[in-house]
Amino acid sequence: MLLGLSIKLFIREIRSGYLTSMLVSLTLAITIVSGISLFTDRLEQALSTQTEEFLGGNLKFESNKNKLQPLLKDLDIKDSQFMEMALFASVIFSDKEMQLSSVKAVDNSYPLIGSLELENSEGVYLIKSSPKPGTVWMDERLQNLLKVNYGDEVYIGDTSFIFTDTINYEPDRASGNFSFAPKTIMNMSDLESTQIIQPGSRVEYNYLFTGPENEILYIRNFLKDIKESGDEIEMLDEDSSSLGRAVDRSENFFLLGGLIAVLLSACTISIASQRFTRRHISYVAILKTLGMKTLHIRALYFLIFFYTTILTLIFGLFFGWLLQNNFINIMSTYFPTELPSPGLYPLVVTCLTAFICQFGFIYPHILKLLSISPMRVLKDDIGLNQGSISVISAGLLAFFVLLYLYTNQITLSLIIFLGVIGFSFVGIGSIYLLLGSKSLGLGASSPFNLALSELRRRKLGNSFQIFAFTVAIGLSLITFSASKNLLGSWQNSIPEDSPNNFAINITKEDKGQMELFLKENNIKATTFFPVANASISKIEVDEEIQIDRNFNITWIYNLPEQNQVLEGEWFSDENENGISVSDEISERYNLSVGDLVYLKVEDRDIKTFVQSIRTINWDNFSPNFFVIGHPSLFKDIPSTFITSFYIPKEKQENAAELMREFRTISVFSIEELIKQVKEIIDQVTKALNSILLLTCLSAIFLALSALQDGFSVRRHQSAILRTLGASNSLIKNSALIEFALLGLISGILGALMSYSGVYFIETEVFQTTANFYPELFVLGPFIGLVVVSGLCFYLINGIVKKSPKELFT
Amino acid sequence: MILKVNNLRKEVTSGDSSLIILDDVSFSLEEGQSLAITGPSGSGKSTLLGLLAGLDSASSGTIFLDNILIHDQNEEERASIRKEKVGFVFQSFELLPSLTALENVMLPSELKSEADPKSNAEYFLERVGLKDRQHHYPNQLSGGEQQRVAIARAFACSSKILFADEPTGNLDSKNGKLISDLLFEVNSETDNALVVVTHDHDLAKKCDKTISLKLGKIVE
Repeated sequence: MLLGLSIKLFIREIRSGYLTSMLVSLTLAITIVSGISLFTDRLEQALSTQTEEFLGGNLKFESNKNKLQPLLKDLDIKDSQFMEMALFASVIFSDKEMQLSSVKAVDNSYPLIGSLELENSEGVYLIKSSPKPGTVWMDERLQNLLKVNYGDEVYIGDTSFIFTDTINYEPDRASGNFSFAPKTIMNMSDLESTQIIQPGSRVEYNYLFTGPENEILYIRNFLKDIKESGDEIEMLDEDSSSLGRAVDRSENFFLLGGLIAVLLSACTISIASQRFTRRHISYVAILKTLGMKTLHIRALYFLIFFYTTILTLIFGLFFGWLLQNNFINIMSTYFPTELPSPGLYPLVVTCLTAFICQFGFIYPHILKLLSISPMRVLKDDIGLNQGSISVISAGLLAFFVLLYLYTNQITLSLIIFLGVIGFSFVGIGSIYLLLGSKSLGLGASSPFNLALSELRRRKLGNSFQIFAFTVAIGLSLITFSASKNLLGSWQNSIPEDSPNNFAINITKEDKGQMELFLKENNIKATTFFPVANASISKIEVDEEIQIDRNFNITWIYNLPEQNQVLEGEWFSDENENGISVSDEISERYNLSVGDLVYLKVEDRDIKTFVQSIRTINWDNFSPNFFVIGHPSLFKDIPSTFITSFYIPKEKQENAAELMREFRTISVFSIEELIKQVKEIIDQVTKALNSILLLTCLSAIFLALSALQDGFSVRRHQSAILRTLGASNSLIKNSALIEFALLGLISGILGALMSYSGVYFIETEVFQTTANFYPELFVLGPFIGLVVVSGLCFYLINGIVKKSPKELFT
Repeated sequence: MILKVNNLRKEVTSGDSSLIILDDVSFSLEEGQSLAITGPSGSGKSTLLGLLAGLDSASSGTIFLDNILIHDQNEEERASIRKEKVGFVFQSFELLPSLTALENVMLPSELKSEADPKSNAEYFLERVGLKDRQHHYPNQLSGGEQQRVAIARAFACSSKILFADEPTGNLDSKNGKLISDLLFEVNSETDNALVVVTHDHDLAKKCDKTISLKLGKIVE
């Protein structure tokens, strides 16, 4: 019986149109959540595959010694594979030219992950193997510098090789400190005959592993045990590339947009639930009078909302799938290949969102409804206290759980949660003060007096309406600002003339000449940073703790651009100076301001201390350093220099000329990387615009629901006033004035809210500098005025078009 | 003549079917006279009252209210006539819950932009015996008290004709008698015409004229 009754009631509710705003809001929320989570899930999977390719495996062990090979037999691995490569810099000769190159000698398991894209006289092709012994592959830049064609001979050390293919793409681009120079790949079996590796030669041995997670962890632990100073272990989840950060940041934007849209929908659902409950008070009272048990009534309503959730889940997931397809189409240039199928996570998040909305924003109202006395049948004035502590607490708890679900950070969730609550209290308090106290009478003599009187008279209801409008306007403006200003500032962080070339291995002798060359060719370079390899040991009371990695350290007087001192002080002439370390290094190796350290640089030990901790903007495409020392500590220490500069496309021949003139300097281009990051920002902007559209839709639904809620009372009042002879224009104009004022106040508060939100996102979430966006303070009041008045005009027209008699029924 | 009705007809259509609610209703009422409209439920009494007061429009026929043909008027013009010439008392009181008793009674004067709506309202509240409860909200008053406030509001309009739709319908017999006595008592002081829709025979007997409706038609 319950099942039949619940289905009948559910269909009747849908037909009556009273459930529309709840159904649409839930569907919107589910669409946005599923669309975003499906997309980000597939994006993460694709990124993980890309990162695997970038690393060359799941795990990488780097060492300056060829020591791992004999130890590998002790490793008990069944399903994992590994490969070995040696990386070194060497001058390569052709019959016409010679050039310093980064050489990668690979064994026959190469590549472990992905394929290489090669090109020869027959065209472009993909290959999953190493070069045959006696042959080499080179990148196009090296091919041009050496002026060689396919089949020509080149010389590495004592051996000659046949150049067979050009490397267009190689999967393990993250390998080696030498990878910046033009690249050559040769077979490992030829390495010995070249006689290049001699005792004392600078060679880096990389061992790459791929396999199941448990074996990779086992190998990692094994490697940790044998790891010595200078050795490094790298895992997949430690990707800090510019692309990785760009994708991470775009995911943050998507989740932010999603969270905002869901919160807006949650507010609408809450208002719709209140209306639903009010309409069902008599219905429940009658069912109780007829002897239906509360448990059965509860089950009846539970079923109705279960159908609501299922229906909205079906539609929401369908539209969500279309939405993520739209995102993929927008970002198709970034993902030329098909994205992996989504996992279960998006479905879990979507269902959780739907059920949190149901249990947090709908079910508490139903519980309240069930408490209505059957006496209501006899006494109409028995009502419900809808704003009870339990209903508000459930809503707030659901709000917090949603925040946590989307941010996965308890502190961030708490900050946003408390921020919104605090803002609401301040906002509602200010509205109370602003509206002042009511005067005698309704002020029905003129539209303005009537509007003002209504504002004052319904102070509490108006405060909640203003709150709903403020949330709608504020959150929409945050999404708008994210798609325009935040992305804009991200885009501006990569200006058109961002350095697109790095030059390393610049000797002291070449530095002056190179500066002259750049000046003559009107190329502006960043600072020439001295660089040396250093190891660091932390000095504790009675021991020295060696930090298990080496650093490329520099020494300069001035704080580099886009670096910010977090703790301690930057170098100054008045104090004793030490070193400055990045916040990541400080955190990872437990280094604090004032800690004593030994720096080992070129066989010299320097005893100094940590003077400051810095944040670094890694997206600035300039040389950045984890460790910077004061120049006084590094007197007479031999070093090379590193710099970066921008060469416009039309001056690309300057780069080749520079490399020809300075043979020992390695110049490498990051043009492609910058292009990729810029493309991602462009695509994120487009994708975020779709989210903005849906957020605005959610906001309009929230505003409409809040207005509709207030208009049911207004309908009755309007019927009485018109019976007493009030003109339509009095009712229409007073409502328009009233809601224009409400919209204006909400717009101003919404602008303040969005400004605070954007400030918080800029400083805390994206950790950039906060900007002032005056357009928010124009757009907020304007949108409030136009949208709220527009919606009011639509609703009040529906009232004044009806005769007073129709309004009474 | 304050009210003249000729061949009034009200028909409502729903889809393909139509329903005649009032048919060929004609009568007249002089100034200061009272008229009771009686009849069983569904006979069209409240619909007729709504048409007479200009709250709704008829399908055909004419209504002259104080010599103005209200059938030809648009809603704005009818609202203006209601403001100047008509007072109302409803079965379910229809007071604004957000206004006090005094503010509810002030409402018609405010709509007419009268100089001192408060003293006028206070006078009528005193007249219905609710001076001491003027600052109470409707939900703080009993049913009988709410109807007294509604009567005070109707007379505060300074209207020429007062329409009352089942004014005692929601009240017990004691309160019903009190309200009907009050209605006629105050009406006699103002020389208004009074049209009452009622099931209450005692109330109908107090009126100068009675018309009875059955299935939308006047029966003798």
